[in-house]
Amino acid sequence: MNEVAMTVLLLALLFVMLGSGIWVAFSLLIVALSGMALFSSAPLGDVLATTAWGASNSWALAALPLFIWMGEILFRSRMSEDMFTGLSPWMGRLPGRLLHVNIVGCAVFAAVSGSSAATAATIGKMSVPELTRRGYPEKLILGTLAGSATLGLLIPPSIILIVYGVATEQSIARLFVAGILPGIMLMVLFMGYVVIWSLTHKAQIPAPDPSLPLREKFARSKRLIPVILLIAGVIGSIYAGIASPTDAAAVGVVLALVLSWFAKTLNLETFKAGLIGATKTSCMIAFILVGAAFLTVAMGFTGIPSLLAQWIGSLHLSPYALLGALTVFFVILGCFLDGISVVVLTTSVILPMVEQAGIDPLWFGIFVVIVVEMSQITPPVGFNLFVIQSLTGRNIVRVAMAAAPFFAILLIALGLITAFPEIVTALPAVMGH
Amino acid sequence: DTWDMPTPYPDKTFHTQNIIEFAKDVEKATHGKLTIKVHSAGSLFKHKEIKNAVRGGQVPIGEFFLGLLANENPAFGIDTQPFLATDYKQAAALWKAQRPVVEKLLGKQGLMVLFSVPWPPQGLYTKHEIKTVADLKGLKFRTYNATLERFAKLVGAAPTQVQVPDIPQAFATGRVEAMITSPSTGANSKAWDYVSYYTNIQAWVPKNIVVVNARAFHRLSKDEQAAVIKAAQEAQTRGWAMSKKETAEKTAILRENGMHIITPSPELMAGLKKIGGEMMTQWKKDAGAQGAAILNAYKP
Amino acid sequence: MRRFLDRLYRACGWIAAAFIAAICLLVSAQVLLNSIDRVSTLLTGSAIGLTIPSYADITGFFLAGASFFALAFTLNEGGHIRVSLVVHQVPPRFRRAFEIWAALAGGAAALYFTWYSSVLCYQSYLYGDVSSGMVAVPLWLPQSVMPLGLGVLSIALLDALVTLLKGALPAYAHPAQAIDTDEGALARSVLDGE
Ligand code: NA
Ligand code: NA
Repeated sequence: MNEVAMTVLLLALLFVMLGSGIWVAFSLLIVALSGMALFSSAPLGDVLATTAWGASNSWALAALPLFIWMGEILFRSRMSEDMFTGLSPWMGRLPGRLLHVNIVGCAVFAAVSGSSAATAATIGKMSVPELTRRGYPEKLILGTLAGSATLGLLIPPSIILIVYGVATEQSIARLFVAGILPGIMLMVLFMGYVVIWSLTHKAQIPAPDPSLPLREKFARSKRLIPVILLIAGVIGSIYAGIASPTDAAAVGVVLALVLSWFAKTLNLETFKAGLIGATKTSCMIAFILVGAAFLTVAMGFTGIPSLLAQWIGSLHLSPYALLGALTVFFVILGCFLDGISVVVLTTSVILPMVEQAGIDPLWFGIFVVIVVEMSQITPPVGFNLFVIQSLTGRNIVRVAMAAAPFFAILLIALGLITAFPEIVTALPAVMGH
Repeated sequence: DTWDMPTPYPDKTFHTQNIIEFAKDVEKATHGKLTIKVHSAGSLFKHKEIKNAVRGGQVPIGEFFLGLLANENPAFGIDTQPFLATDYKQAAALWKAQRPVVEKLLGKQGLMVLFSVPWPPQGLYTKHEIKTVADLKGLKFRTYNATLERFAKLVGAAPTQVQVPDIPQAFATGRVEAMITSPSTGANSKAWDYVSYYTNIQAWVPKNIVVVNARAFHRLSKDEQAAVIKAAQEAQTRGWAMSKKETAEKTAILRENGMHIITPSPELMAGLKKIGGEMMTQWKKDAGAQGAAILNAYKP
Repeated sequence: MRRFLDRLYRACGWIAAAFIAAICLLVSAQVLLNSIDRVSTLLTGSAIGLTIPSYADITGFFLAGASFFALAFTLNEGGHIRVSLVVHQVPPRFRRAFEIWAALAGGAAALYFTWYSSVLCYQSYLYGDVSSGMVAVPLWLPQSVMPLGLGVLSIALLDALVTLLKGALPAYAHPAQAIDTDEGALARSVLDGE
């Protein structure tokens, strides 16, 4: 059987599993087991157990429950309300108003967290209820959150850039620096979209708060102080050299607990509710990650992704056509596999092609991250969609529809960095000399 | 037959390059009856899982860093003991002495040793020049196992744990100030971005090892078995030569990028070797009869 | 029986929560030690080297503990994500068929997973596998969270299957837990803090 038929068969199975209401993690496990049983001779159950253990006892992943817990604590304190009240008087003139908090909030949080799931869970936990209460349209709340949370992967630190850097022997420090400008560019593009949408759909954006005198504006901004302290504390602990980016998540939890203690919103009840909430959400994500890791290994055994990548290589395309083909390839694989898995499975086939075509591997790293960001918001397997479904109760298909414009913006960003590679390469070029 | 082979390091690493050659040799010698599909960079199994995956027959063959098993038995980790075997000649003699013991220990887990290839000798990376052991005092020193922890304490440095991807940022923020690793790792992670001095102390010469599941091996025909063994012998010879070439090339890259390549002062080496001696005394106690067997056979 | 099972799931959930709190404590303690070292460097010019041995390894083990122990509890609370588009569109009697199918498939996969994770754990014990960091932790110990957590998950899914066959809906399928059934989901998320 050829690789295309194998792929189609497994995808069909995945759709049947997911569509018939089987949990996402179980669907991934069952598809992976079937794929391995059909197309390889490896002992399934043993491989499953080994992979599950390797994927679940991970130091880097430990930041995830901590960041989610931080979000839960902030959600139960007054801090998220304070943040919106403090920002609201300043955003009255900007079309889209508080929707931009979602975008900028994700970008700021992305400077602390290396994953987009943690970004979506933490920011969304605070912003979704506040924005909903203030009457912003659901489509844009979900869309801006799903889209901007992907910045967690591009703005350093970034799990995916670490994976890419290790697999391709690129300097991780340079990759991190290379992600900064494209990250800011994406943030601006997202904000631009919200501005344009708001100007064309004025009726759907709630009315601004009555304009306040400047003094009152500043008085209200005092309520931002706790949030600023929290962000400064977390980022500061990294740059003061006392915490690694993973450690910083624990600093975040401790600071959030201290701040909500001073705000008198911390008691045994809210502490327990926050902790158990974080336990559930991180368990949900971890279980899907285990399923995704096993599917990745199963794909490795069947060899499907590398066969498809080899097929692209055999076409001998021009550099631009190659990038186009790879984009399509990554988007399609990214629908069904976790983006990081796609990188792990295919770099050793794709990178030689890319280098042969004369494409800078550092630049290609950022290209890959943006494509992986796209995979986070495409159904049926998109981690931001899962997180937002669990946060809001909205089905992933609906969240994916809301995120579609942001998918298009990511595509535009790919075009921009291809047309102007300096967006990626300018900062790393001035580094280290 | 097709053998899936997980390896921990990326394609460009000379270890992986050597294994890719090995796979080609096996395929050629068996006329395509046995092909080995290399899954590099931990893409099939993570580094820590590879040995057990081969043991359990999940894959028939795999590669890993031998020192990773030092906690199982000190005999696996003798090549990471500071200043016992510091150049390729000594490293070869040590592997000759260590191999029978490693074969016996891994044999109990149903694993057969095919070949083992060293990394370049390990050097010291710091921001400032290190002239004597006293200069290491109070520096934050990267440790990732019990041996290094003890070493750091004996030189008076402050042990600190930093995960590999965090290294550049940890140096930049002062969370770590010194580390011992090979010129390969230094050049690949662009060490000049965060440190200026590379002191070629040749602390130890650690190895990667390639093992095969014994049951899977015995399922091969006699001809195929012979082909695998022959290719493995060639891979070991080729790998050692590649490693020597790697040392020269990667040290040159460090120099080209503006790092100071320092030949250690006699005082520094004398101080370090003294500490190495103290550590060996402890190691002998921990390693018991198997350790003694290796040391008796070791003729540097 | 019902009360015992519900208590079992809940207890496992709190064990998982304790693991997450322990991760936070462990990492915070290391950050505190780092800060002390930092101050010492500023004052005396040299660091002390205060580290919790193998804290990264142990953190990883705790994370595995949290993830596996919480499985059954998260299931019952409706925390595991599923695509319920079709299931919620069909008439009630088909709905039950879909739910039975999901519990069956999930239960079978969970049992299979439990068995092989037990094998992994037993092999680690048999060969005396230990972790490779500063502290040599016997691996069967942290690995035992897999068969334990998955075992309880299997029980929870069989429990759900029995409930379904008796004609009722399991806890996770109740309207309050079910996702995307009513338009007020977002508003509800504001009201009840979920
Ligand atoms: Na980030
Ligand atoms: Na996707």
